[in-house]
Amino acid sequence: MISIAGLRKSFGAAIVLNGIDLEIRQGEVVSVLGSSGSGKSTLIRCINGLEKIDAGKITVDNFDVSKPRELSEARKRSGTVFQLFNLYPHMTAVQNVALAPVEVLKVPRKQAEAEARELLRSVGLSERADAYPAQLSGGQRQRVGICRALAMKPSYLLLDEVTSALDPEMTAEVLSILANLAKGGTTMVFVTHEIEFARSISTRIAFLDKGQMIADLPTKEFFSDKGMALPRVAQFLSKMRKD
Amino acid sequence: MKFDLSILAKHVPFLLEGAWLTFQTCLLAVLGSLILGTLVAAARTSASPQLNRLSAVYVDIFRNIPFIVQLFFFYFGLPEIGIYIDAFTTGVIAMSIAGGAFTSDVIRSGILAIDPGIIEAAQVSGLKKSTIFRKIVMPIALRASVRPLGSVFINLILTSSILSTITLNELTGSAKIVASQTFRPFEVYFVLLVAYAALTWFVSILIGMLHRYLNRNQAEGAV
Repeated sequence: MISIAGLRKSFGAAIVLNGIDLEIRQGEVVSVLGSSGSGKSTLIRCINGLEKIDAGKITVDNFDVSKPRELSEARKRSGTVFQLFNLYPHMTAVQNVALAPVEVLKVPRKQAEAEARELLRSVGLSERADAYPAQLSGGQRQRVGICRALAMKPSYLLLDEVTSALDPEMTAEVLSILANLAKGGTTMVFVTHEIEFARSISTRIAFLDKGQMIADLPTKEFFSDKGMALPRVAQFLSKMRKD
Repeated sequence: MKFDLSILAKHVPFLLEGAWLTFQTCLLAVLGSLILGTLVAAARTSASPQLNRLSAVYVDIFRNIPFIVQLFFFYFGLPEIGIYIDAFTTGVIAMSIAGGAFTSDVIRSGILAIDPGIIEAAQVSGLKKSTIFRKIVMPIALRASVRPLGSVFINLILTSSILSTITLNELTGSAKIVASQTFRPFEVYFVLLVAYAALTWFVSILIGMLHRYLNRNQAEGAV
């Protein structure tokens, strides 16, 4: 379980997260919605320890991410996929995927690369397994990014606006893979602007506004009268649907 | 005066010996400054304020003192306090230390140019700091730094001519001797000029090839 309690984070004078409580259990797909600047990405970056938190507590399977010794255990349990892919440019797709299993989990290289190829095949990239990131399209790069996170067999997948840098066609490529993962029972925290997609795969929706979580509801309830009863949510949804 | 290179014929073996010495000192100094430069660049980009300051001081000192002064200090100064090092070793050490300062600066800027997101991706996947440095940071930084490093190394090769001032008869030192024996400075230094130009031209071609090789997969859309 990922457990977030009383999380506060500010950058200088700007308070980005102001008292967040959230629990994500195995098997859940939690989408985090909210307008730009509401603190969604920062939330993910706090969970994987890329940002130091100012107050509160985050644990991943009971490992406290603010304790350096426990952070590495917490990171083994979660995989992150980034908005801008962040692939290692000097390594092929296979090498990108196999690096952490070899270095962190001490999987023999041959086995790790075979598993990497299998993962890449599962996202339709067997032909491109030996290509370098610069030789791949955005959608292909993000699929490699997803494989890289999955290669560590994480209990939780953290997805930080993974389609925001992609055109609609490439977005569809990536979303279909995520839909399959969700169906397969992968636990996900999904920060996104893809509302309709979030609706279709999520078990729960968390809505952030100005650093506060103003809704944390099962998906059905969020998109029903209960969610719409919250003025900020109603405003957000109507605006996003118009766009 | 008649321009006549043939008078140098019998001195060719001696000059080649000098050239061989130049080659040896330069090769060792390039390796030395690469190793030193990498360590110092790592220190300058590390999270430790002490290492940061220490490495910055090193770079500032050795970039801001003429090489010949450093060399004289090592070769003529240190014996006064009981430290004797032979001319060859002094030359290699002095060139490595001076070259290391410039090399570290080039590598450091290569490191700073890396997209922080790439490092973050490595961190969250659980890689150790040392692994990230070896497997991610250095390969990317070196790829970007090949050309500017080439300039530093070519400069180092040219600087090696100064070693003749501490009795090391490398290429320039040998040429000086031949010039004084033959009384034909024009021919001798003409050959020297061509030799250095050819040497550095050859090195810059190698650097270009290395750059293209290391960056062969970084072109957008290439397969």
